[in-house]
Amino acid sequence: MNNMTEAFILLLAGFVVVFSVLIVLIAVVTIYSKIITSIQNAGKKKKEARNKNKEVVVSAPPAKAPTAYVPQTQDEDDGEIPGEIIAVIAAAVDAVYGEKKHRIRSVRKTRASRSAWSRAGVLDNTRPF
Amino acid sequence: MEILQQLWQIICHLMEESGFGKLSWENYVMVGISFILMYLAIKKQFEPLLLLPIAFGMCLVNLFPGIMGLPTTEMLTEAEMLKRNLDPSTYTTTVVNGMTYYNHTEYGGLFYYLYQGVKLGIYPPLIFLGIGCMTDFGPLIANPKSFILGAAAQVGIFLTFIIATAMGLFSPQEAGSIAIIGGADGPTAIFVTTKLAPQLLGPIAVAAYSYMALVPIIQPPIMRLLTTKKERSVVMGQLRPVSKLERILFPIIVVVIVALLLPDAAPLVGMLMLGNLFKESGVVDRINKTAQNELMNIITIFLGVTVGATATGTVFLTLQTAGIIGLGLFAFCLATACGVLFGKIMYAATGGKVNPLIGSAGVSAVPMAARISQKVGQEENPGNFLLMHAMGPNVAGVIGSAVAAGVLLSVLGK
Repeated sequence: MNNMTEAFILLLAGFVVVFSVLIVLIAVVTIYSKIITSIQNAGKKKKEARNKNKEVVVSAPPAKAPTAYVPQTQDEDDGEIPGEIIAVIAAAVDAVYGEKKHRIRSVRKTRASRSAWSRAGVLDNTRPF
Repeated sequence: MEILQQLWQIICHLMEESGFGKLSWENYVMVGISFILMYLAIKKQFEPLLLLPIAFGMCLVNLFPGIMGLPTTEMLTEAEMLKRNLDPSTYTTTVVNGMTYYNHTEYGGLFYYLYQGVKLGIYPPLIFLGIGCMTDFGPLIANPKSFILGAAAQVGIFLTFIIATAMGLFSPQEAGSIAIIGGADGPTAIFVTTKLAPQLLGPIAVAAYSYMALVPIIQPPIMRLLTTKKERSVVMGQLRPVSKLERILFPIIVVVIVALLLPDAAPLVGMLMLGNLFKESGVVDRINKTAQNELMNIITIFLGVTVGATATGTVFLTLQTAGIIGLGLFAFCLATACGVLFGKIMYAATGGKVNPLIGSAGVSAVPMAARISQKVGQEENPGNFLLMHAMGPNVAGVIGSAVAAGVLLSVLGK
């Protein structure tokens, strides 16, 4: 019985400590992420102001025949995203959504969040068993 | 005739000295079990990197127990020393009742010395160093709420501790070591067991690694049972990109907080975060590569064979071991279930934005548990990619199980 009382105390202590340590970590990670993001965003805004026209906006009809689709926008002429790449993206979207109604509103470049090798690793892990 | 008799005596002596004469039936059973484990590792590829050395260590120690033998000191008289062609002047002496004895030390077996890394708690933190070098905490930083799922899966550890204690078969220290199997983290289980109940190291390590290897078989039925089709089909929003500065600061902040709050978890969490800092800082590429490849592989070999070598027949084939194997499985299933149930709570709390399947990844078998979340999620919706979302709770589970280990060590280790 003595052992059981101790066991229950440990159970409660375990719950409290594990959850509180991890909740403290949640709070700290959230706060420092916000601080860093806001600092970095302030710097980025200046850059973005200069590169405003770099974003490529594509408006496409429902992609029933994605291979036949050729984007016709002024921004495309900047050479930022080649037409073939947009066609491939449209084809990929069509392959995933198939018969479901879908529309590609815009295609824009995102800053790579991880290296090519790291993405290759993710791809390797997501491959079916 | 006399020659024949002498020849017979020599043959009899050799037979007595051989394994056939010295081994008991338990040893042969364990050799059989090691063959099954080798089959699972080679043919079925169940965690072969660990299961194969464990199985071979188990096989070797049961065929030749001396390989794990302790060093011994014999006290010999001068006459005995000379008989053995030993030079008495190079030995220390002990005087008993006026008689001088020479201390002749026989060295221990190979595995005895390699085992010191396990016994002294050196290998598990070094394994964590390598894991840290290979772990991407990005998904966890992008979605810190994943920490809750990592904590939820540890609930299984403490519930199993209660049940193991209630059974009356185990002391609180032993119950704590068994319960940590629920964390699905081999190095943590070994680290805790060497400190709390070293006598149970063999069965606990074998159970922990076996269940880690069996994650793809154990987890999916529990996940399907506890979730609805609608919940499993939830597609989660894309995670935000995480900046390099956030990645570099993460290990430093975590180690400061955990080491201050729970010093007993510091060796494991500290080494995990050191490895991660090597990776994320990007300035110590050579060390990073060594820690996650050569060092990790060397330690894995030593850890595997010596953990396997603790599973000798007389220690392993007991009712207690059966209890450990059963309770370990229970702990693991419970941890999975708690993770999924907390995932359901988060699903309800966020209005259906969180897929509860990522909760099962809160057990820390990295990255297998996250891959299972991905696989089960894709069964419902082939276009659903849960892997990166599941990696958050998965790596949080590693930190969570190390924290749970710290709690068990600080309460039971005194």
